[in-house]
Amino acid sequence: MENKEVVLSVRDLNVKFSLRGRVLHAIRGVSLDLYKGESFAIVGESGSGKSVLTKTFMGLLDQNGWVDSGSILYNGEDLAQYKTEKQWLKIRGREVAMVLQDPMTSLNPLKTIGAQIGEALKLHQGLKGEEAQKRICEILTDVGITEPERRAKQYPHEFSGGMRQRAVIAIAIACNPKILICDEPTTALDVTIQAQILQLIKNLVRKYQLTTVYITHDLGVVANVADRIAVMYAGDIVEVGTCEEIYYSPRHPYTWALLSSLPQLGVKGEELFSIRGTPPNLFNEINGDAFAARNPQALNIDFVERPPYFDVSETHKVRSWLMDERAPKVEPPEALKRLTPEGGSLYE
Amino acid sequence: MSDVILSVRDLHVSFGERRKKFEAVRGVSFDIYAGETFGLVGESGSGKTTIGRSIIRVYPTSAGEIIYKGQKINGKISKELDHRVTREVQMIFQDPMASLNERAKVDYIVSEGLYNTGEKLTREQRTQMVEEALMDVGLLPEFASRFPHEFSGGQRQRIGIARALIMRPDFIIADEPISALDVSIRAQVLNLMSQLQKKRGLTYLFISHDLSVMRFICDRIAVIHKGVLVELADTETLFHRPLHPYTRALLSAVPMPNPAYEKSKVPLVYDESVHDYSTDLPRWVEIEPGHFVLGNVRELTEYENICKEA
Repeated sequence: MENKEVVLSVRDLNVKFSLRGRVLHAIRGVSLDLYKGESFAIVGESGSGKSVLTKTFMGLLDQNGWVDSGSILYNGEDLAQYKTEKQWLKIRGREVAMVLQDPMTSLNPLKTIGAQIGEALKLHQGLKGEEAQKRICEILTDVGITEPERRAKQYPHEFSGGMRQRAVIAIAIACNPKILICDEPTTALDVTIQAQILQLIKNLVRKYQLTTVYITHDLGVVANVADRIAVMYAGDIVEVGTCEEIYYSPRHPYTWALLSSLPQLGVKGEELFSIRGTPPNLFNEINGDAFAARNPQALNIDFVERPPYFDVSETHKVRSWLMDERAPKVEPPEALKRLTPEGGSLYE
Repeated sequence: MSDVILSVRDLHVSFGERRKKFEAVRGVSFDIYAGETFGLVGESGSGKTTIGRSIIRVYPTSAGEIIYKGQKINGKISKELDHRVTREVQMIFQDPMASLNERAKVDYIVSEGLYNTGEKLTREQRTQMVEEALMDVGLLPEFASRFPHEFSGGQRQRIGIARALIMRPDFIIADEPISALDVSIRAQVLNLMSQLQKKRGLTYLFISHDLSVMRFICDRIAVIHKGVLVELADTETLFHRPLHPYTRALLSAVPMPNPAYEKSKVPLVYDESVHDYSTDLPRWVEIEPGHFVLGNVRELTEYENICKEA
């Protein structure tokens, strides 16, 4: 990265939820910097806290959740201190916008697509009437919807899945946000449509100079789009690095496990690698490395003390005791050796 | 080659009447051999699920034949045959969150099928069968007295598989069984499915839109586009020598965990207008042993040349 201007900076963030009198520690001390114009991917299993983390950027935590400590710096303001809806309305949509997983549920079935985009334009930019209509058509063209005049008058049920997701993206970019958060943008879509939507987001990022955050559970998907990747486990970032570092020289056992369970790497007739056990219960205090219980090669210290971040390179940080100089040398799984820049398509 | 367990001949399925008629499946034919995993891949709306559902007799067919173990099972059939097919052909569904009855205990969910085939079983027999089925899919027998909401996504999908297994099926239709699951759980479910296949000699019809998963589990794959099969071959051939442009587009869309490759790749987009079928109608031809493709005379010569070169 040539220009390392930080847009959003999260420091030691802790998020908790109260559920039936018990406290769930969903985010356990996460720090990250988001650089201007980059696309950053957060990867992890369901329940790892990846969605909760990004929801705190927009003040969208559920009623029973709160930021316990830490800060989220954006434009010199600490979003973690925001309390009222009025404060959040300046950020939401205008600065940070979100594209959700399922386009079937994130659109209003009773309003035309045009009206839903117009709503965002009116609220954030005060555009009305003719002017708004013109802008709506422009945006629809930008997201690759042909015949925008006709399509704007249609309802969501008249759109196919891929087209609906395009419409959702159109709403998100309608108010010129600085940061676009895509929460599993392609999980509900077909493989062919998925490739198209990812390409579309990539193009829009260039055109609107957006900073994007992708959230996904599938490491197979983000190789195409991400500049940097963070791997989350049990409310914590366990490894962060550039796209190449994460795929070609992953260091954390959890990243290894995630990569080797991809069916793309599997050999037919053999067992596909699967992570045993289940993620830890975040209601309980976690001692040591959260992944230790599921890691067959865990060290004794993993159960006692939480590992600090070790720097592999300037951009690559790993939270694992394996990186300590006293640790025994543990080799990554065989299957990962097929992941090299020269590897090309794994099917050849 | 082993025996054909299921054979679909020129299957047509349509919905609606007269002017609103929509043909979801238009003349599909294929054979599935006993003990294999047959993949059916296509986009949403291509008719892949419709085929699965007509095989299990949920959708009526409008023309063509579905032959299971030598007997026609679509249209009107005898009660005995109906019971047999209901027992021997089972289904695993996509979303384990939606496909289990929230108000019923696992015990009932798994055993429900047993009530419907006319078999007289005592309560003890039934409990024992439920326990066996649960253990087969790697769950504990105690789970029988719990409700679905107490389980994680992967465990729920196992319950869905147990529900199919308890009928001692020969043929299982798996309709996107892992699309709604996390990557790590996907691996568990895929492994379980192949283990069960080895142990029980099951035959699978695996329906999905994701070729990366298919390559891992399927023996042969058929590609369907808008209700018509465009290519059918064994997995390795299909991946090494895809002939039809739609198959190529699908293959190019499979995401690879390799940034260097992904960032330079240009995904192919399938454009139907590349085919000129105005005068020269396409035919379904076996272009090399076991490799079928849809094309007109000009395209088929092209495909033949590709096969010869290889």
